[in-house]
Amino acid sequence: MHVTIVSPEASIFDGEADAVTAPAFDGEVGILPKHAPFMTLLGSGALIVRHKGTTSRYTLQGGFLQVVSNRVRVVAEHIQGEGRAS
Amino acid sequence: MATGRELRGRIHSVQNIRKITRTMELVSTSKLKRAQDRVVAARPYAEAIRESIADLVNPELMSRFPLLRQPAPLSKGGPSRAAVILVTSNRALCGGFNGNLIKEARRRIAELEHAGYTVDLHSVGKKGAGYFKYLGRKLAADRQDIGDKPTADHAASVVAQILEDYEAGKLASVDLVHGKFVSALSTPPTTVRVLPVATPSGRKARPDYILKPGADAILEVLLPLYVRNMVFRGLVETAAGEHGARRIAMKNATDNAGEILEYLNRTYNRQRQAQITQEIAEIVGGAAALQG
Repeated sequence: MHVTIVSPEASIFDGEADAVTAPAFDGEVGILPKHAPFMTLLGSGALIVRHKGTTSRYTLQGGFLQVVSNRVRVVAEHIQGEGRAS
Repeated sequence: MATGRELRGRIHSVQNIRKITRTMELVSTSKLKRAQDRVVAARPYAEAIRESIADLVNPELMSRFPLLRQPAPLSKGGPSRAAVILVTSNRALCGGFNGNLIKEARRRIAELEHAGYTVDLHSVGKKGAGYFKYLGRKLAADRQDIGDKPTADHAASVVAQILEDYEAGKLASVDLVHGKFVSALSTPPTTVRVLPVATPSGRKARPDYILKPGADAILEVLLPLYVRNMVFRGLVETAAGEHGARRIAMKNATDNAGEILEYLNRTYNRQRQAQITQEIAEIVGGAAALQG
Protein backbone atom coordinates (compact mmCIF):
# COMPACT_ATOMS: atom_id res chain seq x y z
CA MET A 1 0.00 0.00 0.00
CA HIS A 2 1.06 3.57 -0.58
CA VAL A 3 1.79 5.81 2.37
CA THR A 4 2.23 9.56 2.45
CA ILE A 5 3.06 11.56 5.54
CA VAL A 6 2.68 15.31 5.35
CA SER A 7 3.14 18.18 7.76
CA PRO A 8 2.14 21.80 7.09
CA GLU A 9 5.68 22.67 6.08
CA ALA A 10 6.76 19.67 4.11
CA SER A 11 6.10 16.26 2.74
CA ILE A 12 7.84 13.86 5.13
CA PHE A 13 7.39 10.49 3.50
CA ASP A 14 5.99 9.24 0.24
CA GLY A 15 6.34 5.59 -0.65
CA GLU A 16 5.27 2.00 -0.28
CA ALA A 17 4.88 0.28 3.07
CA ASP A 18 3.69 -3.02 4.48
CA ALA A 19 2.34 -1.73 7.76
CA VAL A 20 1.69 1.51 9.56
CA THR A 21 1.17 1.95 13.27
CA ALA A 22 -0.20 5.32 14.27
CA PRO A 23 -1.19 6.92 17.57
CA ALA A 24 -4.90 7.60 17.22
CA PHE A 25 -6.65 9.85 19.73
CA ASP A 26 -7.84 6.83 21.72
CA GLY A 27 -4.95 4.42 21.32
CA GLU A 28 -2.77 2.93 18.66
CA VAL A 29 -4.14 1.80 15.33
CA GLY A 30 -2.40 -0.55 12.95
CA ILE A 31 -3.07 -0.29 9.25
CA LEU A 32 -2.31 -3.20 6.95
CA PRO A 33 -2.80 -3.32 3.18
CA LYS A 34 -6.40 -3.43 1.92
CA HIS A 35 -7.80 -1.69 4.98
CA ALA A 36 -11.36 -0.41 4.66
CA PRO A 37 -11.85 3.35 4.13
CA PHE A 38 -11.04 4.87 7.46
CA MET A 39 -10.50 8.24 9.02
CA THR A 40 -9.41 9.00 12.54
CA LEU A 41 -7.99 11.82 14.57
CA LEU A 42 -4.47 11.45 15.86
CA GLY A 43 -3.26 12.05 19.36
CA SER A 44 0.39 12.15 20.15
CA GLY A 45 2.95 9.38 20.07
CA ALA A 46 5.03 7.27 17.77
CA LEU A 47 4.24 6.67 14.14
CA ILE A 48 5.91 3.59 12.73
CA VAL A 49 6.14 2.70 9.06
CA ARG A 50 7.42 -0.76 8.15
CA HIS A 51 8.54 -1.77 4.73
CA LYS A 52 10.36 -4.99 3.91
CA GLY A 53 12.25 -5.19 7.16
CA THR A 54 13.11 -1.49 7.37
CA THR A 55 11.37 0.55 10.00
CA SER A 56 10.95 4.31 10.05
CA ARG A 57 9.88 5.93 13.24
CA TYR A 58 8.46 9.40 13.78
CA THR A 59 7.00 11.29 16.67
CA LEU A 60 3.89 13.21 15.90
CA GLN A 61 1.23 15.26 17.56
CA GLY A 62 -2.21 16.14 16.28
CA GLY A 63 -3.68 15.80 12.85
CA PHE A 64 -5.49 12.92 11.27
CA LEU A 65 -5.06 9.70 9.36
CA GLN A 66 -6.99 8.67 6.33
CA VAL A 67 -7.17 5.41 4.41
CA VAL A 68 -8.82 5.30 1.00
CA SER A 69 -8.42 2.54 -1.60
CA ASN A 70 -5.14 1.21 -0.27
CA ARG A 71 -3.60 4.64 0.17
CA VAL A 72 -2.75 5.82 3.65
CA ARG A 73 -2.37 9.49 4.33
CA VAL A 74 -1.02 10.73 7.63
CA VAL A 75 -1.58 14.45 8.08
CA ALA A 76 0.30 15.59 11.15
CA GLU A 77 0.27 18.99 12.76
CA HIS A 78 3.67 18.50 14.32
CA ILE A 79 6.00 15.75 13.34
CA GLN A 80 9.64 14.94 13.71
CA GLY A 81 11.82 11.91 13.48
CA GLU A 82 14.35 10.07 11.46
CA GLY A 83 13.52 8.09 8.41
CA ARG A 84 13.99 8.84 4.79
CA ALA A 85 13.01 12.41 4.18
CA SER A 86 11.76 13.12 0.70
CA MET B 1 28.84 71.23 -18.08
CA ALA B 2 30.33 68.92 -15.51
CA THR B 3 34.09 68.76 -15.32
CA GLY B 4 36.01 65.59 -15.94
CA ARG B 5 36.62 65.07 -12.25
CA GLU B 6 32.93 65.39 -11.41
CA LEU B 7 32.04 62.92 -14.13
CA ARG B 8 34.60 60.45 -12.83
CA GLY B 9 33.07 60.72 -9.37
CA ARG B 10 29.65 60.06 -10.74
CA ILE B 11 30.85 57.09 -12.74
CA HIS B 12 32.38 55.59 -9.60
CA SER B 13 29.24 56.00 -7.54
CA VAL B 14 27.04 54.48 -10.24
CA GLN B 15 29.46 51.57 -10.52
CA ASN B 16 29.21 51.01 -6.78
CA ILE B 17 25.44 51.15 -6.82
CA ARG B 18 25.36 48.67 -9.65
CA LYS B 19 27.56 46.33 -7.69
CA ILE B 20 25.19 46.49 -4.72
CA THR B 21 22.00 46.02 -6.70
CA ARG B 22 23.51 43.11 -8.60
CA THR B 23 24.47 41.43 -5.34
CA MET B 24 20.98 41.98 -3.97
CA GLU B 25 19.57 40.48 -7.13
CA LEU B 26 21.68 37.37 -6.65
CA VAL B 27 20.75 37.10 -2.98
CA SER B 28 17.06 37.38 -3.82
CA THR B 29 17.40 34.77 -6.52
CA SER B 30 18.74 32.20 -4.09
CA LYS B 31 16.25 33.15 -1.37
CA LEU B 32 13.47 32.97 -3.92
CA LYS B 33 14.48 29.44 -4.79
CA ARG B 34 14.22 28.34 -1.17
CA ALA B 35 10.97 30.21 -0.58
CA GLN B 36 9.55 28.65 -3.71
CA ASP B 37 10.46 25.20 -2.40
CA ARG B 38 8.54 25.98 0.76
CA VAL B 39 5.48 26.98 -1.25
CA VAL B 40 5.62 23.70 -3.13
CA ALA B 41 6.27 21.69 0.04
CA ALA B 42 3.17 23.15 1.67
CA ARG B 43 0.88 21.98 -1.10
CA PRO B 44 0.35 18.27 -0.25
CA TYR B 45 -0.83 19.13 3.25
CA ALA B 46 -3.30 21.73 2.02
CA GLU B 47 -4.56 19.31 -0.59
CA ALA B 48 -4.98 16.53 2.00
CA ILE B 49 -7.02 18.71 4.34
CA ARG B 50 -9.11 20.12 1.53
CA GLU B 51 -10.01 16.66 0.25
CA SER B 52 -10.80 15.28 3.67
CA ILE B 53 -13.13 18.15 4.49
CA ALA B 54 -14.82 17.74 1.15
CA ASP B 55 -15.31 14.06 1.95
CA LEU B 56 -16.88 14.80 5.31
CA VAL B 57 -19.16 17.81 4.98
CA ASN B 58 -22.80 17.56 4.11
CA PRO B 59 -25.49 20.22 4.31
CA GLU B 60 -26.85 18.81 7.55
CA LEU B 61 -23.49 19.14 9.30
CA MET B 62 -22.79 22.54 7.81
CA SER B 63 -25.41 24.37 9.79
CA ARG B 64 -23.95 23.07 13.04
CA PHE B 65 -20.44 24.42 12.68
CA PRO B 66 -19.87 28.09 13.42
CA LEU B 67 -16.87 28.12 11.10
CA LEU B 68 -18.98 26.97 8.17
CA ARG B 69 -22.09 28.95 8.89
CA GLN B 70 -22.76 32.20 7.11
CA PRO B 71 -23.46 34.75 9.87
CA ALA B 72 -26.68 36.73 9.79
CA PRO B 73 -26.46 39.89 7.68
CA LEU B 74 -25.97 43.21 9.40
CA SER B 75 -29.56 44.29 8.83
CA LYS B 76 -30.80 41.28 10.77
CA GLY B 77 -28.70 41.89 13.84
CA GLY B 78 -25.62 40.00 12.71
CA PRO B 79 -22.13 40.88 13.91
CA SER B 80 -20.97 44.35 12.90
CA ARG B 81 -17.24 43.67 12.84
CA ALA B 82 -15.21 42.16 10.06
CA ALA B 83 -11.55 41.26 10.09
CA VAL B 84 -8.96 41.77 7.39
CA ILE B 85 -5.55 40.15 7.65
CA LEU B 86 -2.94 41.94 5.59
CA VAL B 87 0.35 40.21 4.91
CA THR B 88 3.24 42.40 3.76
CA SER B 89 6.99 42.07 3.90
CA ASN B 90 9.31 43.40 6.58
CA ARG B 91 11.75 44.90 4.13
CA ALA B 92 11.56 47.37 1.31
CA LEU B 93 13.40 47.59 -2.02
CA CYS B 94 11.06 45.21 -3.74
CA GLY B 95 9.37 47.56 -6.19
CA GLY B 96 5.63 47.97 -5.93
CA PHE B 97 5.09 44.71 -4.07
CA ASN B 98 4.05 46.13 -0.70
CA GLY B 99 2.36 49.12 -2.25
CA ASN B 100 0.13 46.86 -4.29
CA LEU B 101 -0.76 44.75 -1.27
CA ILE B 102 -1.65 47.86 0.71
CA LYS B 103 -3.76 49.14 -2.15
CA GLU B 104 -5.63 45.84 -2.30
CA ALA B 105 -6.19 45.91 1.47
CA ARG B 106 -7.50 49.48 1.30
CA ARG B 107 -9.88 48.49 -1.45
CA ARG B 108 -11.20 45.59 0.60
CA ILE B 109 -11.52 47.68 3.76
CA ALA B 110 -13.39 50.40 1.88
CA GLU B 111 -15.77 47.79 0.51
CA LEU B 112 -16.49 46.36 3.93
CA GLU B 113 -16.88 49.77 5.51
CA HIS B 114 -19.21 50.80 2.74
CA ALA B 115 -21.35 47.78 3.64
CA GLY B 116 -21.50 49.11 7.18
CA TYR B 117 -18.97 46.92 8.96
CA THR B 118 -16.31 48.05 11.39
CA VAL B 119 -13.07 46.60 10.14
CA ASP B 120 -10.39 45.12 12.41
CA LEU B 121 -7.10 45.20 10.58
CA HIS B 122 -4.61 42.52 11.52
CA SER B 123 -1.25 43.28 10.06
CA VAL B 124 1.64 40.93 9.44
CA GLY B 125 4.85 42.58 8.29
CA LYS B 126 6.45 45.93 8.89
CA LYS B 127 5.50 47.68 5.70
CA GLY B 128 1.73 47.35 5.95
CA ALA B 129 1.78 48.27 9.63
CA GLY B 130 3.91 51.33 8.92
CA TYR B 131 1.54 52.58 6.28
CA PHE B 132 -1.65 52.15 8.26
CA LYS B 133 -0.09 53.61 11.39
CA TYR B 134 0.86 56.63 9.34
CA LEU B 135 -2.78 56.95 8.35
CA GLY B 136 -3.63 56.85 12.04
CA ARG B 137 -5.54 53.61 11.86
CA LYS B 138 -5.58 51.36 14.89
CA LEU B 139 -4.33 47.86 14.23
CA ALA B 140 -5.98 44.92 15.92
CA ALA B 141 -2.73 43.01 15.65
CA ASP B 142 0.71 44.02 14.49
CA ARG B 143 3.10 41.16 13.86
CA GLN B 144 6.59 42.04 12.71
CA ASP B 145 8.39 39.01 14.06
CA ILE B 146 7.61 36.54 11.32
CA GLY B 147 10.12 37.39 8.64
CA ASP B 148 10.58 35.47 5.44
CA LYS B 149 10.58 31.94 6.83
CA PRO B 150 7.09 31.56 8.24
CA THR B 151 6.17 28.36 10.06
CA ALA B 152 2.82 26.74 10.75
CA ASP B 153 3.10 27.91 14.34
CA HIS B 154 3.37 31.52 13.19
CA ALA B 155 0.19 31.09 11.20
CA ALA B 156 -1.57 29.48 14.15
CA SER B 157 -0.65 32.38 16.43
CA VAL B 158 -1.82 34.95 13.88
CA VAL B 159 -5.18 33.36 13.49
CA ALA B 160 -5.91 32.05 17.02
CA GLN B 161 -7.68 35.15 18.34
CA ILE B 162 -9.57 35.63 15.12
CA LEU B 163 -10.87 32.07 15.16
CA GLU B 164 -12.02 32.50 18.72
CA ASP B 165 -13.83 35.76 17.95
CA TYR B 166 -15.44 34.28 14.89
CA GLU B 167 -16.68 31.24 16.74
CA ALA B 168 -18.08 33.51 19.43
CA GLY B 169 -20.09 35.28 16.74
CA LYS B 170 -18.25 38.60 17.00
CA LEU B 171 -17.01 38.67 13.42
CA ALA B 172 -19.01 38.67 10.23
CA SER B 173 -16.18 37.63 7.94
CA VAL B 174 -12.43 37.27 7.75
CA ASP B 175 -10.46 38.15 4.63
CA LEU B 176 -6.81 37.53 3.94
CA VAL B 177 -4.88 39.91 1.67
CA HIS B 178 -1.63 38.40 0.47
CA GLY B 179 0.60 38.09 -2.55
CA LYS B 180 -0.45 35.02 -4.46
CA PHE B 181 2.57 33.24 -5.80
CA VAL B 182 1.69 32.41 -9.40
CA SER B 183 5.28 32.50 -10.58
CA ALA B 184 8.43 34.42 -9.74
CA LEU B 185 7.33 37.09 -12.21
CA SER B 186 3.70 37.26 -11.21
CA THR B 187 2.65 37.79 -7.61
CA PRO B 188 -0.68 39.59 -7.83
CA PRO B 189 -2.15 40.89 -4.56
CA THR B 190 -5.10 38.67 -3.80
CA THR B 191 -7.93 38.66 -1.30
CA VAL B 192 -9.30 35.34 -0.14
CA ARG B 193 -12.21 34.77 2.16
CA VAL B 194 -10.94 32.74 5.10
CA LEU B 195 -14.11 32.66 7.17
CA PRO B 196 -16.77 31.49 6.83
CA VAL B 197 -15.01 28.52 5.28
CA ALA B 198 -16.04 28.00 1.71
CA THR B 199 -16.67 24.30 1.59
CA PRO B 200 -14.48 22.65 -0.98
CA SER B 201 -16.36 20.61 -3.51
CA GLY B 202 -15.97 16.89 -2.99
CA ARG B 203 -15.03 14.10 -5.33
CA LYS B 204 -17.83 12.27 -7.03
CA ALA B 205 -17.52 8.91 -5.34
CA ARG B 206 -17.29 9.64 -1.66
CA PRO B 207 -15.62 6.76 0.16
CA ASP B 208 -17.72 5.16 2.85
CA TYR B 209 -15.43 5.86 5.78
CA ILE B 210 -15.26 4.22 9.14
CA LEU B 211 -14.99 7.37 11.22
CA LYS B 212 -13.43 7.57 14.63
CA PRO B 213 -14.63 9.32 16.74
CA GLY B 214 -17.24 10.63 14.24
CA ALA B 215 -17.72 13.11 11.44
CA ASP B 216 -18.55 15.96 13.82
CA ALA B 217 -15.56 15.49 16.02
CA ILE B 218 -13.19 15.13 13.10
CA LEU B 219 -14.54 18.22 11.37
CA GLU B 220 -14.23 20.13 14.58
CA VAL B 221 -10.49 19.51 14.49
CA LEU B 222 -10.06 19.75 10.75
CA LEU B 223 -11.75 23.10 10.18
CA PRO B 224 -9.38 25.15 12.35
CA LEU B 225 -6.49 23.29 10.72
CA TYR B 226 -7.84 24.24 7.33
CA VAL B 227 -8.15 27.90 8.31
CA ARG B 228 -4.67 27.93 9.81
CA ASN B 229 -3.30 26.34 6.71
CA MET B 230 -4.90 28.99 4.50
CA VAL B 231 -3.17 31.67 6.52
CA PHE B 232 0.08 29.71 6.51
CA ARG B 233 -0.05 29.50 2.74
CA GLY B 234 -0.72 33.21 2.60
CA LEU B 235 2.42 33.83 4.63
CA VAL B 236 4.59 31.46 2.64
CA GLU B 237 3.40 32.71 -0.72
CA THR B 238 3.87 36.34 0.27
CA ALA B 239 7.41 35.57 1.43
CA ALA B 240 8.18 33.95 -1.90
CA GLY B 241 6.49 36.77 -3.78
CA GLU B 242 8.58 39.33 -1.92
CA HIS B 243 11.81 37.73 -3.06
CA GLY B 244 10.51 37.45 -6.60
CA ALA B 245 9.51 41.11 -6.64
CA ARG B 246 12.83 42.15 -5.14
CA ARG B 247 14.76 40.20 -7.70
CA ILE B 248 12.96 41.96 -10.52
CA ALA B 249 13.31 45.38 -8.90
CA MET B 250 17.03 44.84 -8.40
CA LYS B 251 17.50 43.52 -11.90
CA ASN B 252 15.86 46.65 -13.27
CA ALA B 253 18.04 48.80 -11.06
CA THR B 254 21.16 47.01 -12.26
CA ASP B 255 20.16 47.37 -15.90
CA ASN B 256 19.35 50.99 -15.36
CA ALA B 257 22.69 51.65 -13.68
CA GLY B 258 24.37 50.06 -16.70
CA GLU B 259 22.60 52.46 -19.03
CA ILE B 260 23.51 55.48 -16.97
CA LEU B 261 27.08 54.29 -16.83
CA GLU B 262 27.24 54.02 -20.59
CA TYR B 263 25.99 57.55 -20.99
CA LEU B 264 28.37 58.93 -18.36
CA ASN B 265 31.33 57.17 -19.91
CA ARG B 266 30.52 58.54 -23.31
CA THR B 267 30.21 62.07 -21.97
CA TYR B 268 33.42 61.70 -20.04
CA ASN B 269 35.38 60.43 -23.05
CA ARG B 270 34.00 63.05 -25.34
CA GLN B 271 35.01 65.74 -22.93
CA ARG B 272 38.47 64.30 -22.46
CA GLN B 273 38.95 64.16 -26.23
CA ALA B 274 37.74 67.73 -26.61
CA GLN B 275 40.25 68.86 -24.04
CA ILE B 276 43.11 67.02 -25.77
CA THR B 277 42.14 68.45 -29.12
CA GLN B 278 42.07 71.88 -27.65
CA GLU B 279 45.47 71.48 -26.02
CA ILE B 280 47.02 70.33 -29.29
CA ALA B 281 45.50 73.28 -31.07
CA GLU B 282 46.99 75.58 -28.47
CA ILE B 283 50.45 74.05 -28.77
CA VAL B 284 50.37 74.15 -32.55
CA GLY B 285 49.14 77.71 -32.40
CA GLY B 286 51.89 78.64 -29.93
CA ALA B 287 54.60 77.01 -32.06
CA ALA B 288 53.34 78.76 -35.16
CA ALA B 289 53.45 82.08 -33.35
CA LEU B 290 57.10 81.52 -32.30
CA GLN B 291 58.17 80.61 -35.81
CA GLY B 292 56.34 83.47 -37.43
